[in-house]
Amino acid sequence: MKRLLLCIASVSGLLAQTAPVTPAAAGISPVPPDEPVLSGSLDLGYRWVPGTGGNLATYRSIVDLGSGPKLLGADFTIINQGRRFFDRINVRAADWGHDPYSTLHIDVSRKKLYDFSGDYRNIAYYNNLPGFADPLAGSGLILNEQARDTRQRIGNWRLDLLPNRVFMPYLEYDRNSDNGTGIATFVANADEYPVTSLIRDSNQNYRGGVRIELSRLHIKVEQGGTRFRDDQRLNAGTGQTNYGNLYSPILGQTLDLTSLSEAYGVRGHSVSTDASFSANPVSWADLYGAFLYSEPVSTVNFTGLDTGNQVLLSQVLFYTGEQNLITAASKLPHSSANLGAEIRPFGRLRLVPSWLTDRINSSGSGTGQQTLTTASGVVPIASLLSSALVENSSQAAMEAFFDVTRKLTVHGGYRYVWGNASDVILPIAGLAGLEAGKIRRSVGIAGLSWHPVQNAWVNLDFEDGSSGSTYFRTSLYNYQKARIRGRHRITPALSVSASVSVLNNRNPSPGIDYAFLSHQESASLQFSPGGGKIWDFEGGYTRSTLRSNIGYLDPEFLIPEQSLYRDNSHTVTAMFNLNMPAWMRYKTRLTLGGSAFLSSGSNPTTFYQPAAKVSIAVRKNISWVGEWRYYGFGESFYLYQGFRTQTVTAGVRITR
Amino acid sequence: MIRYPRAAIVGLLASLLPCAAQRAVPPAAPPTTSKVAPAAPALAAPATYVGSDTCGACHEDIAKALAQSPHESVETADKHGFRGKACESCHGPGSNHIQSVSAADIGNPAKLSPAETDRVCLTCHRNQPTVSGRLAASHAHNAIACTSCHSIHAHGPRGLVVRKPNEINALCEGCHIDVKALFAEPFRHRIPENAMTCVDCHNPHGSFKPGLQRMDNANEPGCFKCHSDKRGPFTFEHAPVREEGCQSCHMPHGSPNAKMLIRQEVRLVCLECHANLPVPNTPGIVRGVVPPAFHDLTSPRYRNCVVCHQKIHGSYIDRNLLR
Repeated sequence: MKRLLLCIASVSGLLAQTAPVTPAAAGISPVPPDEPVLSGSLDLGYRWVPGTGGNLATYRSIVDLGSGPKLLGADFTIINQGRRFFDRINVRAADWGHDPYSTLHIDVSRKKLYDFSGDYRNIAYYNNLPGFADPLAGSGLILNEQARDTRQRIGNWRLDLLPNRVFMPYLEYDRNSDNGTGIATFVANADEYPVTSLIRDSNQNYRGGVRIELSRLHIKVEQGGTRFRDDQRLNAGTGQTNYGNLYSPILGQTLDLTSLSEAYGVRGHSVSTDASFSANPVSWADLYGAFLYSEPVSTVNFTGLDTGNQVLLSQVLFYTGEQNLITAASKLPHSSANLGAEIRPFGRLRLVPSWLTDRINSSGSGTGQQTLTTASGVVPIASLLSSALVENSSQAAMEAFFDVTRKLTVHGGYRYVWGNASDVILPIAGLAGLEAGKIRRSVGIAGLSWHPVQNAWVNLDFEDGSSGSTYFRTSLYNYQKARIRGRHRITPALSVSASVSVLNNRNPSPGIDYAFLSHQESASLQFSPGGGKIWDFEGGYTRSTLRSNIGYLDPEFLIPEQSLYRDNSHTVTAMFNLNMPAWMRYKTRLTLGGSAFLSSGSNPTTFYQPAAKVSIAVRKNISWVGEWRYYGFGESFYLYQGFRTQTVTAGVRITR
Repeated sequence: MIRYPRAAIVGLLASLLPCAAQRAVPPAAPPTTSKVAPAAPALAAPATYVGSDTCGACHEDIAKALAQSPHESVETADKHGFRGKACESCHGPGSNHIQSVSAADIGNPAKLSPAETDRVCLTCHRNQPTVSGRLAASHAHNAIACTSCHSIHAHGPRGLVVRKPNEINALCEGCHIDVKALFAEPFRHRIPENAMTCVDCHNPHGSFKPGLQRMDNANEPGCFKCHSDKRGPFTFEHAPVREEGCQSCHMPHGSPNAKMLIRQEVRLVCLECHANLPVPNTPGIVRGVVPPAFHDLTSPRYRNCVVCHQKIHGSYIDRNLLR
């Protein structure tokens, strides 16, 4: 029975990816087919993952597909001819059956009454890379204590009411949660211990608003709120001695952790306001603007209890037990606004002035009570901390667009960005205290849009920025950014695209001397002779180069060091579809393709994902589908992280 | 030293020069607030409206499609002022076209310049779900017209634009081929698997965030919609997260580095800012608390900073982001 099930099972993840979508401009047939009450397709199948060669943890962190029966896809539409409660229901589902990413989407609508949409995703978040940039992990010294195996469940539901064409109220609710386990670090005063982390957090957003659409003025007003909770817990079993990362004794004593129980009790909420308008007050000008405000607030009641042999180095005080009780609260009022216009003084000229501002004013405070149990008694340590982070930034820009001809538009402009930021933690301790920064940046903008023939376009964008100061050492400073992108549908069957982008950012300030250069060149081709009735091909190639140099001082010995990052990569993607000649009266479609990524430089990596798929229409509404995929991942420096896996799926697609 | 104001003003003026220089060239289709794209007049008499029924007599397939599309409301409602004349709301009055049966006598928004095409669409769709309107979107700046993505006559489950995740992603990748390549790298968001779509993170209609990034809860970064545990507010914030966003440390489209980091080793991501280097005569650049001297980077214990500073996105209780 099981074999029978396996035989009739099917899969078509590839199908979902391979069908090239012709852009709207290429012409979607407007002819409405006769729509039946129920139409759609169902893909059922079984996937085999024979085994993973190499590192299973890396495989799960990157791919994570497993064996078993699957609902690979469902997509159907129900038409209600009576139109009493709804006109149409569209339902889409994909990758159900303990796959790492399962999705469900539903749209229900009734013309002139409402539109409802719901979206649900269940995403596996597995991340347990054995090295995680630890070059010594291969020698058996595993310091990765950041791992997680959780499930994210993300839901979004929205209802738009359509009582008339002017006032359109809407309601929206979304919720996401993350539940699972992981490995985290318990950081004691002189040692760190990997411990179990139970991850449990959730967030709910609800918002409602109204869109008002008048002939020359559109307004949207929305009010929303949030509820958030984070109940992460760290645990270490009683009776099990954990020696942590420090193997050498301190003052003759070995440090250890024998039990731990920590709980973060985080609760949060927020309110948000979103008001925007756009208007066409006169024939030669459009105006738009928005005001956005949010004020998230969080409160924390943290409790922690651990036992073992620990030391407080600053006081050379050994203790066998520690209790922490911390309460804290923080809020982050955040307001943003923008205003802009498009002014058309002449037929060919458009002027687009704009201004925006963004203001954050975060503050927090906390009180802590730490109690240490020592050989000589109990030592209480109290703490009171407060913090603030303020950032006010603004931007003003003026751009002009000029239609040189009907096929060529050039634009140029100027943008000025300014702002101030500061953050402080009180009381100031060590090097951590008051920090402040500011940003002053002038940017020249230029570009063109050229449509030489009906089905071709070329865009060029160029920015040249010059900064007086920036917030961070690696921020954009003196930079040039350019991108040219073009596409040409040479014939209805043949399209080519190309793209080149460059970013050159330099900060020559003494002590920084930052040099960053990246460029990327891409080309792609789509060919579907005869409308793809027999075969079609889509392929692309991208070459990317990144160079980054910046200096730093080694913290311990204050020796100047350089952080050098190099990445030279080649990416090839291809997909070839062939509708084979009738074979034993069965219509057969073969798909071959996949992608390959090869890079050299600081982190030489290869990642191959070839795939093949065959679909045989055994009856009018039933197709057999078989798919083979290969995943091969390798790193030159971290050889032990490589893996190779094949997946085979077989199944059936039923259409109606 | 800011060197641009003068150059920018000169550049701006230079960009205006063609205004005067091009007077001899016949002007493009004039901007109009009428909901009608102007047709090339081949007949002497000014065109008048003939009604959608007349159009449908020849263009039966399009008329049927329109009747089932969201644009049907133009035909049946008074709001837009084109009840019974939906076709001519975009194509302009059709009486001359009826007489001559010539394509030259009817407006075709698909053949207008992108800005003019957009203006026809924006007459009704000015307030699409974006805080900045389409005017400020890079798509509008690059003359990517609404009709590049939307099929005006289409109908049915697809509405006027593709809806399925694989179709949405393929539509975006058709132009953004460089971004498509990034998703072939090992560490990336789940776009190739179609568990996500490009429009989950980007609003193609406009945003005042760079890269048309979406926002959540009014003005919070859109990343927090899924990564809500990073939202805070934290008692002890990590300033770059708030001020420059997740891209300070991550490459969200794809990276060869674990956790989509911008560098191959965590310590380098951190040390490029926490560099322990003085920055003389640049008062704006003093940020980045330096690591204490006992951090011996030759010891594997200190090579992965987030082993200890695990609350790197912000901490509710610890100033050093340790827990």
